[in-house]
Formats: sequence, structure tokens, C-alpha cells
Amino acid sequence: MKVGVVTFPGSNCDTDTMAAMEQLGVQALPLWYTEKSLHGVERLILPGGFSYGDYLRSGALAAQAPIMDAVEKAVSESALPVLGICNGFQILCERGLLPGALRPNSSGEFRCTWEYTRVTSVPEGFFGLKEGDVLRMPIAHHEGAYGVASGQLQALFENHQVFLQYSDEKGVLHALTNPQGSVANIAGITQGSAMGLMPHPERAMAIYLGSADGQRFLKAWLGEDGS
Amino acid sequence: MNFRDVGLTQEEFEIIQRQLGRNPNDLELGLFGVLWSEHCSYKSSKSLLSWLPHEGRAVIQGPGENAGIVSLNEDIQVAFKVESHNHPSYVEPVQGAATGVGGILRDIIAMGARPVALADSLRFGTDDAARMIQNGVVEGIGKYGNAIGIPTVNGEVAYSPVYDKNPLVNVMAIGLLSGEHSVNAKGARPGSYLVLLGQPTGRDGIHGASLLASQDFGNVTDDMRPTVQVGDPFMGKMLMEATLQAIATDKLDAVQDLGAAGLTSSVAELAYRSKVGAIIRLELVACREQGMTPYEIMLSETQERMLLVVSPDHWPVIEPLVRHWEVPYGIIGEITEDRHLVVAWDGEIRASVPPEILAGSCPLRSASPKWADEIRRNVPNLTPFRPLTFDAKEAVAVLGSYDCRSRHPIFDRYDSMILTNTVWGPNHDLAILRVRGSNEGLAIAVSGPGRYAAIDPYSGGMAGVSRVIGLLAGQGAEVLGLTDGVNAGNPDKEQVFKELTGLMAGVADACKVFEVPVTGGNVSLHNETDGDSIWPTVVIGAVGRHHHPLEPIPDGPWREETDIVHVHPHGEWSLGGSVYESLFHRLSAYPRLDPKRVADLYQVLAQLATKVPSYAMRMIGSGGLFVTLAKTLLTMPSRLGMDVSIPPEDAVRHLFSEVSGQCLIFCNPGTTKSVLELLSPVTAADVIGRVIPRSDLVIHLRQSYAFERTKLDRVFRDGYGG
Repeated sequence: MKVGVVTFPGSNCDTDTMAAMEQLGVQALPLWYTEKSLHGVERLILPGGFSYGDYLRSGALAAQAPIMDAVEKAVSESALPVLGICNGFQILCERGLLPGALRPNSSGEFRCTWEYTRVTSVPEGFFGLKEGDVLRMPIAHHEGAYGVASGQLQALFENHQVFLQYSDEKGVLHALTNPQGSVANIAGITQGSAMGLMPHPERAMAIYLGSADGQRFLKAWLGEDGS
Repeated sequence: MNFRDVGLTQEEFEIIQRQLGRNPNDLELGLFGVLWSEHCSYKSSKSLLSWLPHEGRAVIQGPGENAGIVSLNEDIQVAFKVESHNHPSYVEPVQGAATGVGGILRDIIAMGARPVALADSLRFGTDDAARMIQNGVVEGIGKYGNAIGIPTVNGEVAYSPVYDKNPLVNVMAIGLLSGEHSVNAKGARPGSYLVLLGQPTGRDGIHGASLLASQDFGNVTDDMRPTVQVGDPFMGKMLMEATLQAIATDKLDAVQDLGAAGLTSSVAELAYRSKVGAIIRLELVACREQGMTPYEIMLSETQERMLLVVSPDHWPVIEPLVRHWEVPYGIIGEITEDRHLVVAWDGEIRASVPPEILAGSCPLRSASPKWADEIRRNVPNLTPFRPLTFDAKEAVAVLGSYDCRSRHPIFDRYDSMILTNTVWGPNHDLAILRVRGSNEGLAIAVSGPGRYAAIDPYSGGMAGVSRVIGLLAGQGAEVLGLTDGVNAGNPDKEQVFKELTGLMAGVADACKVFEVPVTGGNVSLHNETDGDSIWPTVVIGAVGRHHHPLEPIPDGPWREETDIVHVHPHGEWSLGGSVYESLFHRLSAYPRLDPKRVADLYQVLAQLATKVPSYAMRMIGSGGLFVTLAKTLLTMPSRLGMDVSIPPEDAVRHLFSEVSGQCLIFCNPGTTKSVLELLSPVTAADVIGRVIPRSDLVIHLRQSYAFERTKLDRVFRDGYGG
């Protein structure tokens, strides 16, 4: 399988993401933001970082980059699986490929911590994960408080678009496990073939780095049984 | 313009006149002003720094370049250095700290190394304004480091009113290079282009080096805000990628970053080290503002700029790389054989000075070995402070004090995990990083004990070195090299220069006994406001070779019945310089350590892992034994606790002494005997207790005290009494 990893100016988790793919035995193809074609990749990742320095608004400028036209087309026409991690999630929201927006953390501060998340609904084709599974992964962001316009939240849950929520280590949701003020502890959502999450699975690829749960998640996204 | 306007003394001006054989014009005077400033010339500290040992088995590059380099193994080298940004961080905390990070990263990049980690050492005051400064500094460090994508993996912070108006922001950066693509500032050849990459030059930061960082503060610092630079980590990231790719082609003559004193320092240093001349054509320098004068262009400290020297033959290979990363660039002049630094504007020569006068002739203040000897001999009297009664409230107050409590409100604001090498991050005393493609990893530690140097700088200098070496030894890691960040007051005052002499003598003596080289660093003087100086504070950063980075020696026990061994090489208990003393008494001199004895202990500690199957260990630091026990407890599984017994007649000193070299070893009862046997030739060590299946810290003196884990946790995380 060939997975594209897009680098925008200022992306800084691109090499980590490519290394994670290679660790999983998947070929990672670096794609520069000016590309107009996706070079036949079967899946695509928008990695984390500070595209365009987060100037204007996180992800707002990258959402208008040339390659995003190709991404949008591939999602709508051929349901290309696209994963946005952290800044990639922000870019997908800004582009309108995912609903809602990532607002500044309620603390007003950047936050880098290990968090537990609970799989709330298993996206289609994720064989290695089941509802209620708890994944430990780090977050590292300044704008990660997920929010939607009023009245939209219920539909997200009803359509099983909320796949990941911040929880405690047993998978229980409460206010204390919400690291930055996301509505309903939402850590990740899906829409069609696009998916975004704030935690960094590519940083949780080995027990000695703190957790190997990211490996499990990425395997599931790749359609493999990682359990 | 007068020589005093640019910060030069009468004597210095006369030397310039003599060496040039004429009066310098205004622009030339400006160039001398910045290059001969304390900040750029190290004129007050160079002779003191010459006491430090620079040689070592692993040293590839010692002081003099943008950063030191040591070898991790045959294939991988490590570039590292600490740099301060104290004055700017007081004037404008966010940008001051942010540009400090950007600046030290560019030093590492200019050596051809890809940065992999940052570690910081911060000092703040205790008044309300100091809290605002801290908030801004932490924001600034995060702003730059997080965005450019280099993790902050370790750090330390301490507090005292002496830092109210002079906060210290010292940042250490560590980078990796293969050795194949090494580059420096020595290889510029006549005919090659001077290529300026990065941000267009603006009016920011003019006189940052000469006026801001080389003079004391009065009450006019608001007017100095324009002398602070503004950081742009986005441009920093693009510049880093472009520069590293350019270096990887092996087609550059030389690289020099633009830091303090901007283009002036960069070109002068480069020409001086390469033994060539250079011509800068100012009309080719892209400026952000119209109407900038030659003086402003030459002295601007606009951030995110890098100077490449490339021969015309190789430029066609380099140019597309720079374009790819969308970094602005321009050829602004060339290297010449004529050994003059010439500044021209539209063909008219505005300044022409030999680089060796600019960069190599500043008169230095001589160090006094006699003073150093006196300081060595005059061991300060230790105060016989022997508090007799242990008070549990005081113990909790020490744990919750500014100097001991958890640093998570600071380090949670830094990305500590990006690049995915961080095996041990900022919640440990030292950082451990894996290095891809190598079995060996990096051990990184930083220490800057200002409190220990407050009364006896010599002792404080030794303690800083001892601390980082102890941290590495506890992991069995070999020290490859140290970097020193020296911070002190106004060197024109005899008292301050004496303190500085003691501090550096302490560092030098410790380095010699521990047999570790210092490969570079930074000096920041004039940390004074309204005549009040900081404590002389030396920040020591260490880089070590870790032999099993994926399996660090744990820093806390994980099962019950584990024995707790307290190792104390000096067998003497003093509260001098301790947090306890600073809270409940008057601060007195930190006890001088016997470096030989501590060095022997560290050697045994470093080999322990090869002789004892499994154990945990932790060095004792601020807050002494009590705080180290409490901090260890909070990392243990929540069902476990500790039960220790301390000699009741001298309990307070046992529990709160911070004498260097102390540590805790947690071992299986079956191995305790052999651990003690290994230690006995070099140190005193006692089994003081064991791990129990109850989650509290129980301390037996004449009576027993049980500290509840939840209470310790709350105090440690949130502080004591607010």
C-alpha cells in the first residue's frame, strides 16, 4: 500500500508520520503542498505541525493550498481515506471536509500531555478496534477545543461521526478528562472517508516512548487488524 | 558620533585609532561598538573561560565555533550549546525568550547539525511582575520551539528576589550530524558569494548586543523595547530546512548564522576565521523598510537570517534548494583576498576595516589566578544551624515551595515529544533520547544552582558540574561534553568580578577532577538593575552517551519490600544553601564538596548497572532527602508507599541537606548487600527503609509521621499555601 503524507510549509510532524508508516511496513510518499495530483496514493495523511506558522488561524491558509483541491476531489469522487492529525484535523475542518472547528484551548495555553481516549464508535473498515477500547496517546496543540455550531452535536453522535473522546484510563468520560474544553470531550470525528483527530498516534508507536496505542490506531486506519 | 555613544571606552578607542592608523568614521565606530561589546567580544570573561578544560576523547569541536561537537559513536556526532537571552526577556518576555530559542537553534544548524532537542534553565523573581515575566517567557519558549518542531525535553527553574528585575533565560540546543557533511565558518575562499538567506533586514534589534545585553538596567528599559528582536518560527523552520539541505550538498565554503550584532558580527567573524576579506554591497541587502542607513543595516538583529558562502560554480546547485523552501535570499557581496571587511553602497566605500582588528583585537580583562587561589583557600565558615525539632508542616512547605514543586505548569506548555525520540521527558531529572540508527542514545541534563553560588560562588560552580555528572552517572551514561552558560552582574565592579572568578574556578576545578571537557557556551554579564546584581549563576548542560536508552534505569521502585538505600559521600550534614535554610533561616554558604570523593562515587554508580541485576535510583537535589523521597513516591504505583527511619537527633539536617553527591538506590533485599559492598570503598550508605504496601510516606523519628500520598500530591502539584 502507498500512503501519501502532505508537507505544507511549516508542517513539522511529517517525518514522524512517515517513520510511523514505514514502521508499519507501508510505503510513505511525501507530497509537497504545491502538487496538483496525488500520484495514485491509496490513502493520505495530513500530518501535524504549524502550517504557515498557524498565522491567521490554524489550518486556514493550508486549507487553500493547491494540493487541497486534489484532496477534496479525491474524497468526493473516489472516497479516498484521508486522515488529519492535529494540524491536519484543523486543515480538514477549515476546508469543510470535516464538520466543526478547533478553537483555542480553554486555558489559553499550548498543552502537551498524555491523554486517554475512548473509541466511541468504530468507523467502517476499522477491524482492529472495538467500541469502548481505550487508547493512550499524546496531544500537543494550542487550538484543540473541538466545537460545532449549536444544534449540530446530536446529529454527529447519531450519525456515528464521533469516534474518539477524551476519557480516563477506564474509558469513563467526565469533565476532568477533558484537556482543553472540547465539546463533549470530542477528540476525533469522521465524515465520509475523511477523519480527523487531535491526539498524535504517530508519537505512540512504542511502549518505551510512552505507549504503542498509536500503532494500533494507525493499523486500524490502514484496514489491518491491529489487535 | 562619539565612541561613548557606541559603548566603547577611551582606552578601547585609542587602540582602534592606533591599529587603524586613523580615526574610524561613524559607521566603522558603530561596527567596533557592537563587536567590542561585552556580549560579542567576551572581553571580561575570555581569560576566565580559558581555565576550563576543552580536551576530551569525544571532542570533535571545542569552543570558538557556533557550537561544540562531540562524537556519540563512529557515525553520529552531537552539536550542542547553551545560550542566554536574559536582557531581552526582561524587556519583552515573549519575544525575548522566543528569539533566544531561535538563536541557539541557528547556532546548531550553522554547524550542519539537525536540532533534536532543547533544554532550558530559567530563573525568576518572586514578585507579581516576575509571575508575568515567567508566563511570557514560558509562552515565548513554547511559541518558538513548538512551532519549529524541536522538543523541549528537559529543564530546570528556580526562584529568588534577586532575579525580580533580571530573569535568566538560558536555552541549550542539541543537534545531530553525520560528520560527513560538517561545515564551519573557516572555509570561505576568495571569489565566493556571500548569500544572505531569510527574513528581510529591518530596524529591529539594533544595538541589542551593545546596549541591551552589555549594560546594566536602570529605569529606562521601556525605551529599549525596540532593541528586542521579533521571532518568526515559521520562517525559522523554512530557513532550517533550506540551510540543512544546502549543507548536505557539501558545496558550501562556510556557514554563519546572524545573531547578536547581525551582519557585522557574522561577516567579520567569518572573514576573521577564514583569514580572508569580504565586501558587502548594502544596496543588495533586502530591507523590510525604506530608507535604512548603512549603520542600521549592518547592526540590525533581525532574526531568521543565515549567511552562506558559496562559490559561483556551486551556486546553481544551492539556489533551487533555497527556492524550494521559499526562503528569501540575495547575493550581497563576495569574499576577497584583500583582508579588509569593506562595506560599500552603490560602489562607494562606506567602511573598510581589517577583520582581525574588528574580531580579534578587543582588549581583554585579565583573570586573576591569585584571586582564584585565595577563593580556593578561604573556605567560608558553615553556619552551625542545627534545628532540633522536626516539624511536619515545614517538611510539606519545602515540598510545595517554589524551588521544589512540580514543574508541569511550565513543561506542559512545551512540546516534549515531537520527533518521537523522547524516552524520558521533562517529568524526569534528566532526559533520555533514542537516536535512530544507533544503539546508543543521548542523556541530557542541565543544572544551574544559583542558590548554591549565592554566598560561595566557587562551591556553586562545582555543584553545578557535580549535579549534571551525577545525573548521567546514575544512568551509567558517559559524559561526552559540557556547555556552560555563565550569568553574572556588572564585571566592572570588583566584587562581581571576584564572584565570577570564584564561580569559574569552581567549574574549572570540578571539570578537571571529573575529567570532562567544556566545548563551548555563553556568557551574560551586566545582569543588574538599579545596582542590584543577580547571584552569579552558571548553567551547566551535559550531553552523555546512554548505552541502553530504550531501557533507562528506573527512577522509582515498582514493587513492595524494596530496600531504600541513602548514599551520602560526605558523611556530613549541612543545610547550607538548602531550600529549607532559605525558607526558615538565613541563606548560608553551600558546603564545598570534595570532588575527588564524589568522582569516585559517580564511577561506582555508573558501573552499578553492570553488576546489579535490577534496581532504581535517583539523585537527591533541591529540598534534600525528604523532597526526593516524596517525589519518588508520587511516581510509584498508587498502592505502594515508603517507610523510612531517620536518626532522630539530627533529623532535620538528614532530611533537608542538599550536600552534593547524595542519591537514593532502591534495590531488592537480595541484592542490597552487594550494592552496599560496591559502595563502601567510596561512600557512606545506609539502608533507611523499605517500600510498603500502603500508599503513604511514613517517617520514623522519635515519633512517626505519616504523609498521605494525596496530600503530598496536591502540595507538589499546586504549591504550599498558594
